[in-house]
Amino acid sequence: MENANERKEILDGLIEVLRTVRTIDPARLEGVTEETDFLTDMNTPSTELINIAAKVEQKFDIEFEDEDIDRMGSKVKDVIDLIIMVKERGANN
Amino acid sequence: MTEEERAGYFDIIQHGNLVGVDPANLLLHGPTKRLVNNYHWHSPNKGIVASYSPTERDVEDHFNVFRGVDQVEAFAQATIVSCATFLQCPKQNCLPDVLRDSFVPAFISIGNVNFQNYLEFGDTFISIGNITFWKWRQMVCDGRIYRVPKGLDLDDYFKDFTDERLLNYDISSDFVKVAELHDITGRAILIEHFNKLA
Repeated sequence: MENANERKEILDGLIEVLRTVRTIDPARLEGVTEETDFLTDMNTPSTELINIAAKVEQKFDIEFEDEDIDRMGSKVKDVIDLIIMVKERGANN
Repeated sequence: MTEEERAGYFDIIQHGNLVGVDPANLLLHGPTKRLVNNYHWHSPNKGIVASYSPTERDVEDHFNVFRGVDQVEAFAQATIVSCATFLQCPKQNCLPDVLRDSFVPAFISIGNVNFQNYLEFGDTFISIGNITFWKWRQMVCDGRIYRVPKGLDLDDYFKDFTDERLLNYDISSDFVKVAELHDITGRAILIEHFNKLA
């Protein structure tokens, strides 16, 4: 349950980040779920994923490595998984 | 490349800049697609000035004119590929030929490009680019292409160039502006990810 709450909080934060991305139509942010795909559902340009990742770093006070970005999928749940993994990594260091 | 040459080159990658380095060491595709002849100024985290003289083959079947699309490619090779490779090598403690086994340099996007003049066989041009973003092996550059005055020694001209002059395109009015390029973006993509795109 705690994990579900954490994922919901991250999803809300992620949507806040996405509202600041110029190339994402705000209308497409209505009803975003973990299964939403940035590329196919939101028509996000592939180049924008890096900008989103940079904004996510700031929002969640985390730091991605090159390999994290390589592994990142294009669904919202992939980004949430990555954020949780990087936060745990930071906590363990 | 001999072991001694590799050691010297490794030292340049770790501590120096690209001035005087053969572009063939950075741009690992074949020579017919290599559109950089020389690096004249390089500030690793800021930008670069590099030159190219179009060959007869480059302008063949195209009115003796170097194509606009090739200008974008030449600019990307001079800036993104060269500068990002230079910065990535120290991170991985290796030379560019090692990166070739892991990554494919790929265009991600091209912003506005405005052409204001043209280039012919016999001309030399410079790509002058500044780095606006570099993270996670993705680089974005803005810049310009200028036709070089005939007979100018570019190494000598740019020997005292600075970051500030780069950002202001502070060069002699004898250079003719040919193109202005914005948000040229490239990324070194892992080969296994690149292959999945097919």
